[in-house]
Amino acid sequence: MTYLKSRRFIGAAFTAITMLSITRTITGNGDLTSTVTIAQALVFASPIALAGLAGIWAERAGVINIGLEGMMILGTFGAGWAGWQWGVWAGVLAGVIFGAIGGLLLAVAAVTFGVDQIIAGTAINLLALGLTKFLAILLFTNAPGGGQAQSPPIKGEIPTFTIDSIVGPLTTLHEQGIFFISDLAGIVAGLFYNLSLLTIITFLLFVMTSYLLWKTAFGLRLRSAGENPWAADSLGVKVVQFKYAAVVFSGMLAGLGGAYLSIASTIYRNGNTAGRGFIGLATMIFGDWRPGGTAAGALMFGYIDTLRLIDTGNQNVKGLILLGAIILFAIGGIMLRRARRNSAIGFLILGSVMIGAYFSATSFPPEVAQVAPYITTLLVLATASQNLRPPAADGVPYRKGDHH
Amino acid sequence: MSQSALAVELKGIWKRFPGVIANSDINLKVTSGTVHAIVGENGAGKSTLMKILYGMQKADEGTISINGSDLVFNSPSDAIDSGIGMVHQHFMLADNFTVLENIVLGSEPKNGIRLDFAKARKQISGIAAENGLAVDPDVLVSELGVGDRQRIEILKVLYRGAKILILDEPTAVLVPHEVDELFNTLRDLKKEGLTVIFISHKLDEVLSIADEITVIRQGTTVGSVNPHTQNVSARDLAEMMVGNELPTPDAVGDTIQDEVVLKVENLSVFAKGGKAIVDDISFQIRAGEIVGIAGVEGNGQAEILDALMGIESASGRVQFKNEDITNKSTRHRRELGIGFIPEDRHRQALMLEAPLWENRMLGHQTREPNSKGIWLTPRSAKADTKRIVEEYDVRTPSIDVLASALSGGNQQKLIVGREMSGEPKLLIAAHPTRGVDVGAQAAIWDHIRNARQAGLAVLLVSADLDELIGLSDNIKVLLRGKFVADADPATVTPQDLGTAMTGAGEAA
Repeated sequence: MTYLKSRRFIGAAFTAITMLSITRTITGNGDLTSTVTIAQALVFASPIALAGLAGIWAERAGVINIGLEGMMILGTFGAGWAGWQWGVWAGVLAGVIFGAIGGLLLAVAAVTFGVDQIIAGTAINLLALGLTKFLAILLFTNAPGGGQAQSPPIKGEIPTFTIDSIVGPLTTLHEQGIFFISDLAGIVAGLFYNLSLLTIITFLLFVMTSYLLWKTAFGLRLRSAGENPWAADSLGVKVVQFKYAAVVFSGMLAGLGGAYLSIASTIYRNGNTAGRGFIGLATMIFGDWRPGGTAAGALMFGYIDTLRLIDTGNQNVKGLILLGAIILFAIGGIMLRRARRNSAIGFLILGSVMIGAYFSATSFPPEVAQVAPYITTLLVLATASQNLRPPAADGVPYRKGDHH
Repeated sequence: MSQSALAVELKGIWKRFPGVIANSDINLKVTSGTVHAIVGENGAGKSTLMKILYGMQKADEGTISINGSDLVFNSPSDAIDSGIGMVHQHFMLADNFTVLENIVLGSEPKNGIRLDFAKARKQISGIAAENGLAVDPDVLVSELGVGDRQRIEILKVLYRGAKILILDEPTAVLVPHEVDELFNTLRDLKKEGLTVIFISHKLDEVLSIADEITVIRQGTTVGSVNPHTQNVSARDLAEMMVGNELPTPDAVGDTIQDEVVLKVENLSVFAKGGKAIVDDISFQIRAGEIVGIAGVEGNGQAEILDALMGIESASGRVQFKNEDITNKSTRHRRELGIGFIPEDRHRQALMLEAPLWENRMLGHQTREPNSKGIWLTPRSAKADTKRIVEEYDVRTPSIDVLASALSGGNQQKLIVGREMSGEPKLLIAAHPTRGVDVGAQAAIWDHIRNARQAGLAVLLVSADLDELIGLSDNIKVLLRGKFVADADPATVTPQDLGTAMTGAGEAA
């Protein structure tokens, strides 16, 4: 089992690096796999990953958490406010607590009162948005360095680590431009360059979640609340308590994701989440409600975001277009082998269009890259949705004693 | 009658729900180490009583004593702690979990905080081997059939060290040889000194397995009999249950007319991978004819019915009277006068969270009495729902309660009543009396027979072979998506059918 898993992981990583490498070679754009790009991608990926992980916790216990965005917003605000007052670690703590309050609200509405979970989540999103805007005006308008829509700077910094003995030589190796080897070097160096403690914590939370939810009795009970709460109840599992625990912890993780955002931009700003809660939800679905896949999805979003933002001369977006085309061709090839002709043709046509665009245009507007993650998600959902295994009772209101 | 200890004693149990008294003054004594059957009609209060005994619901009055000591159960875990285990009528299993995960859930063996999978596997194999319940602990439950699932439910209970097992209508979903296997298991368990409480309304089965039988009628215990010492027949029991004389369940007479109502040619349904689930079958049904399909569940019955209703896409040709309906929508088919009683009533026949009268409209929403033109007509729909409730003896406080509040048998009666409304020309029915008690079962049979007299054509799928033989004019045996044999209901026995269904007697 674990052997199979690690083989699959290595296979996936190998494929991804090869594709990146091909793209980098054709475009001659070293930025695509440079140390700085990868390091920055981790920073962009982490909040999304935390939101996705938050989604896993809630939905594995059978509560759909559309309110992730709202809980993240609460987290950004908590971190901005407490970080400005008492320093960065207080900010992290406040972000987590504010997120937890959002989670508690969802738990009360969805678990105790059986409110439709989509509606409850949406209400939390709207509430968080309005509340934080209001509090920002109230608390930050007259503060030095603050404004109506943003907090004063957060005091202090989260420690970051750079391991020079790894980064130095590998970065040199990256600059050689050797196929595959240089790209692998750039990527590995990126993992040890300006690595934030919060990113490490995020990673550890993923490891902890995999272990806790799939290897312990606690996890089995929590997941049973999302698979068949009536069966769980009949075996004496305290379903409501597990749902509460899961949803509140989900809020804490989303809040931490929000705090990460504020701390990365050193202030709280209205609208800083920019839909990352929803993207987190998408990565969770992309990852089949499992931590590994969710992390991969978040990395993809973080990577694309990075290329868009550090783009000089509009070459990165062009590279992305080529990468997209290569991926589409690869999927098309797989479909062809699985004898799914119609989907295969669709992918191959789409890939050809992108290749055509790549060779005919000299540059692309950055907005193209902005929509890329969303298009990717749609494609993934369209092709993989039949193989996904969401929790069977996800989103179903549960009332104790009800028979089903 | 004997001095042996009482495993369970219930005294003066009352349970009231808004509008209904589910249990009134129930008294029950179960001797240790016996199989004790509890029989009664649907809605007689058997399930409620067992939920009280299992701690899922609390009695308003009365005492429960287990092995001689009075106890109060606030939750199933209290009951489990006292050695009581329950095998539910609707299986309580998580499909996405493995067999192992389903069994250990709630009482997992641990190694630190880690779930000790190796130990769990060993314990389960041990219990399984002791009791002859073969299972593979590492397969997903979603891949298993009904018989396997029931074995898992029993293992779940044994794993928790239960000494008193409650089985809620365990045979309702099993085919004959699976019932035999289950009974062998129960006899083994009895030998091990366990006590089994067996709820059922299949009286022949009860008589063959039970050491003692308690009858419940309208929420109260009306008597106990011992089939070993007293000479009781299924009919005697049935009359105790219903409280009066029974109608006889067969009235065969040839009513087949010449007109072909349904003609199916080369029907095939394919699974995702391209495998044929229904494999090139052809048949026809004439007006006034009932064609029965016998088969172990999962051999393509559900797919045939869904294909005939236009729910599942299929190849082949389907003709209704003179019209080719192969490519017609489900609604069109229903409007032509095809009634449908599906296999899974919760999934396909009811909106559980809607009142009965809205459920009356479901599937008939384009026709009177439910609508006129583009407008729904709730008033006449409600009036018609009242008619169904009366004619089909649906036990409900009112037609405004949610469908989920009805017991399974009463839900079924409502569905049958609905589908028999509006004079259908063809009825496609799966297990029309599943979960329904003897009295109501006979009533449903009568309704079907009367309609057949008037020219109704029926395609009948049923796991109840007596029902299939008693009602059908022709029986076809389905195995792996193909008709493998025809049987004449006048001569065939349930045993013969059972053999043909499993493919054991290919020559027959």
